[in-house]
Amino acid sequence: MKGTNIILCGIGGEGLVMLSNVIGEACRLAGKNVISGEMHGLAQRSGSVIVHMRIGEEVLSPLIPPGEADMIVALEAMEALRYLYYLKPGGVVLTNKRLVHPPGETHDLVMKKIDKYVEYDEVVEAIKEAGAELREVNALSLAKKAGEVRAQNVVMVGALCSALEGVIPRDSLIQAVKGTVPEKAVESNVEAFELGVDAYGD
Amino acid sequence: MSFKDVIDEEEREAYMLCNEAIVRAALEADVQLVSFYPGAPQTEILDNFERASNKYDLRIEVAANEKVALETVAGGAMLGKRSLTSMKSVGTNVASDALYTLAYTGLDGGCLCLIADDPHAHSSQSEQDGRWFGLTAYLPMLEPSTPREAMEMVKKGFELSEEFGTLVLIRTTTRVNHQSGIVPLGPMDRTPFEKVSWKDMKRPYTSVGELARKGKKEMLERMENIREKMADSSLNRIEYFDGKKLMDEGGSEEELGVITAGVAHSYTVEALSRLELSAKILKLGVINPLPEEVIKKFCEGLDKVVVVEELSPYIEDVVRRLVKDVDVYGKRTGHLSEALEYDIPAVIQGLSEITGVEEPFDYKEHCRKMKKYAEILPQRLPVFCAGCPHRATFWALRRAVGDPDKVFFANDIGCYSMMCLPPIQWSDTLLCMGASMGVAAGVQYAAEEKTIAVIGDSTLFHAGLPGVVNLVHNEDDVTIFVLDNAVTAMTGQQSHPGNPKKAGGREGKKVDIRPVLEGIGVEKIYDISSYEVKDNVDTIKEALAHQGVSAVISHGECALYHFRNYRHAGGELVPYFIDLNKCESVHACVLNFMCPAISVMPEEDGKARIHQDICVGCGVCSKLCPKGAIKSTATMYGGDDKPVLTVEDYEKYQEKKEAEK
Repeated sequence: MKGTNIILCGIGGEGLVMLSNVIGEACRLAGKNVISGEMHGLAQRSGSVIVHMRIGEEVLSPLIPPGEADMIVALEAMEALRYLYYLKPGGVVLTNKRLVHPPGETHDLVMKKIDKYVEYDEVVEAIKEAGAELREVNALSLAKKAGEVRAQNVVMVGALCSALEGVIPRDSLIQAVKGTVPEKAVESNVEAFELGVDAYGD
Repeated sequence: MSFKDVIDEEEREAYMLCNEAIVRAALEADVQLVSFYPGAPQTEILDNFERASNKYDLRIEVAANEKVALETVAGGAMLGKRSLTSMKSVGTNVASDALYTLAYTGLDGGCLCLIADDPHAHSSQSEQDGRWFGLTAYLPMLEPSTPREAMEMVKKGFELSEEFGTLVLIRTTTRVNHQSGIVPLGPMDRTPFEKVSWKDMKRPYTSVGELARKGKKEMLERMENIREKMADSSLNRIEYFDGKKLMDEGGSEEELGVITAGVAHSYTVEALSRLELSAKILKLGVINPLPEEVIKKFCEGLDKVVVVEELSPYIEDVVRRLVKDVDVYGKRTGHLSEALEYDIPAVIQGLSEITGVEEPFDYKEHCRKMKKYAEILPQRLPVFCAGCPHRATFWALRRAVGDPDKVFFANDIGCYSMMCLPPIQWSDTLLCMGASMGVAAGVQYAAEEKTIAVIGDSTLFHAGLPGVVNLVHNEDDVTIFVLDNAVTAMTGQQSHPGNPKKAGGREGKKVDIRPVLEGIGVEKIYDISSYEVKDNVDTIKEALAHQGVSAVISHGECALYHFRNYRHAGGELVPYFIDLNKCESVHACVLNFMCPAISVMPEEDGKARIHQDICVGCGVCSKLCPKGAIKSTATMYGGDDKPVLTVEDYEKYQEKKEAEK
């Protein structure tokens, strides 16, 4: 079953489902078949979230098998590493340059069950060591630059657009972004998208 | 892509979540009355109907529980209105009393009940298999695999319901409900909601004794009619897989047959593809009554038949009964699991063992290897949100109790269920909606420790009240904690009878919890404000000391709900911050508090830090800090709402103040 498999992951409340909606809608606009399966844990916020996105005529299942994702897009770096087992050998990990320490980690640190926080560099080193091609985007700073702090997910859509050149046309993605975000935030989100597009090549 | 598509009247294709597609299909089918109690994985059906009710003329209720919801839509169907309810797997247990008898009475109007199972118990207390409801209640049941099929089956379901005069069940699973795909949007031919005369369509919907015996006979005849009529339904289809692609027509040389239904169909086809196996596939869409003749005919001439279905061997056992001269494989032969949800590797493993074709890829070894890299990561477990009133209530409760071993803690279903998960793990029981009350009644007889029963407001209205009545009547010794956060928080802050708003955000009548408990006869009732953690400790101690039934109602709106409303009303969040000059790293704000907005700074002697983008400003942590080091960013400006401020801003402010002196 050929096609393009993408794992989107992050933390609840970051706009991951919106990100998947933009990609899905862009595929529809471009006349591509797309299936996705989303899963969020018990928590409304702060829990680990994963969405499986599959683009292609022959895909059927809403779940990507381990080792078959072409790309992992992570809004938080720890989650990229957590779901790395979905990535195909040599696949691309596109991660936001950002680490959010779960409250349980802080608790363990204070209780001296661990002696330090996990560091961003350790996380991305592990991703590279596992054989993935790492691409990093500082989505927060780019979203701020675009004038919309909440548009980190749209920055990642832009970066994904560059990464998936030839799979989803850029115009479809822009149109999907415009149709998904609140009207008053269209301009800043398109700007965030463009900054993301450029950031991927860096 | 979003709700916009659900109500878009243009006939085109849309990218939709299955739950949205179900709502769309029901709207196209001119559904007139809907009622629900929220619960994963079907809550988005309620959410989308609530929004649609602002555009279309239909009646909608957020019901007190699933039984009430089913009875409500049945009432509408008795008057000929197309009506629909949906419920999570275990919600059907609550509704089942009405469900079983509705099969006896039949229903004249089109009526659908969707049962959303949760294999893997992603967000449920069990992996219950809802297909048995159809079989044991004698109700037809359809099962879609995709959003597109779900739309087709909703429409077909209404037709079937009207044709045979029966409630029709649709069974989904989490991976179907939460699957998105491309679906066709059909015409929206809706009619306005109008009252009709009961006199014109009157007939008894009664079942007892003689009437029940008559009803049973009619029900069996009805089911026989449906069996005949549905025998060649296009919802059951035969497909051929040639090792590479799926086809409607195939050769006659296939030796392997697969019978499957639901999302397992998609895993099966992709597994066959990776194994390059050719097979004949029977994809069942009608789950009750199963098309027995179709199954028999399908199996003719095959060497092996594999049944791929999630959870119990519901189809497999029927196939075993019907087919004697073909080897049947599945759960009974140990090739596929009765536990957990399936995925492509699970089906590959089963098919590989059955056929002897080698697995193309060692998924297990791959996962083991890759997960080793992730061992450096901390777990990201679900926690109470920043500003959650439950965190504050449990902090006070824990202080009031002292040693958690001094009480028996009967917990219930809601966000507060998370108390039973690590690292806190403080709950002695967690069974089902409302169970804390009943369990507490039994425990208080036998346990030397004090019994406490914790329940949320929505859960109290759903299934807790009979338990409270029972406690009071029997003069039991239990302290009840009602966590009144105004909404059914866990499923996305839907309204419930204790909220002044009803479905669709319209004004309703708020049912106050205190007078309800007073009316039942709870002897001592204490109202506390969740965030007032320090004061609450003594109040809770007093409640716990009472012999008999006492209740503490902890009032504090769900933080997501409260602060969203606050922001929509133009309010700015005012976060708290740590005064680094005062913080002495005692970590009262971290230990057993677990706020996602608080971490520590190892580079600053482990002093705490409040993330300004996460803190909503509930201020509870500032009340716990023995050093007075946690302050609101508003305090320095006389309490006015201000945009997000940082520690740096505060330091500059302090410097400025010093300079002014």
